Amino acid sequence: MLQAIRLLMPALIPAWNFFDVIADSPRVEFALLADPDETPQAWQVFRPPPPGQSLGAMARRLVWNPVWNETLFVVSCAERLMRQPTAHSEDEIYARIAADLVRSGTNPKDWICFRLVFVARQGEDLIRETRFQAVPRRVAEIVTR
Amino acid sequence: MTYDTAARLTEILLALSFIQQGLEHLVRFRKEQILFGVRITLSLLVIAGLGGPWPLVGLALSSLVFLQRFQGPYNGGSDRMGLLALWCLTASRLLPGLKAQEVAFGYLGAQLILSYFISGWVKVLNPDWRSGRALRDVFQFSTYPVTEDLRRWADRPWVMLAMSWAVMLFELIFPLSLFSQPSLIVALVIAASFHLANACLFGLNRFFWTWLSVYPAILWLQGRIF
Repeated sequence: MLQAIRLLMPALIPAWNFFDVIADSPRVEFALLADPDETPQAWQVFRPPPPGQSLGAMARRLVWNPVWNETLFVVSCAERLMRQPTAHSEDEIYARIAADLVRSGTNPKDWICFRLVFVARQGEDLIRETRFQAVPRRVAEIVTR
Repeated sequence: MTYDTAARLTEILLALSFIQQGLEHLVRFRKEQILFGVRITLSLLVIAGLGGPWPLVGLALSSLVFLQRFQGPYNGGSDRMGLLALWCLTASRLLPGLKAQEVAFGYLGAQLILSYFISGWVKVLNPDWRSGRALRDVFQFSTYPVTEDLRRWADRPWVMLAMSWAVMLFELIFPLSLFSQPSLIVALVIAASFHLANACLFGLNRFFWTWLSVYPAILWLQGRIF
């Protein structure tokens, strides 16, 4: 309870410093593995944005946007993992990746691993840097519902 | 607008925004379905005006469970504003005496003013915002643009510069709109359009509904002060 109250305080006394600095931006990437000792090779971006969207889709997302909001939560967890690593942030990211994989029919005996690649601007160039790689987990052992 | 009308309107709009958020969670994880099912039920009671202040108290207490569950807000700033509104409304309903109730509700209106002004202030202090570079960065590599096509907006530096200054100037002069109700209404329409644009471009739909729900508080505060 005390921790929840501590988490509530920034809402009751807000800083309102939205977008004051554009920080390095995390991308969550994952790879499927046959066993936990395999070196991940084929990294895939978790929920890449579509190339475009219609005005109708844009209007619909005003009232129904669960997947995007969940993706933003995953980004928050990725940022938290960098600031203050916790099992909670890692669990939440794994749960979302595994849930998508289970929905798409991935073999639950497979293992998955994710990494956080940060995109940053250096002068006029964009650089990508992997700053975190999680220990692989078996899909079947992750709560996906 | 009287205090009672403004507070009631705010709690109805806030409850509607909670229902919208809750429905989004009902299709996700089972644990979330239970938590948000409770939240939707309490929100419906608030809209119906049943149970006195207790559905609001229930929502406020359940917000602690959500914070624990997600180890913080689920969707950053929009959730924080929702929490602030909820706890201010709950306090204003529970506190004895009109004066104390108005202070709790007025705090919410004051924070809404600060939410615009401080956002503008921290941006204008940053040279990257003043040059349009920061907004280019948002479009070019932040996680927010909802489509890849939107990233190409970063290739139009003059548009980015104009948009940056439009946002900063609006946020900085927002408090001046409080001097009359017509000017405040115009400012709130512009602010709502800004949140609508953020919802379309960056998928921040929760910001739109949450900030809109607090507008009655500032409309009341303006009338109370001026």
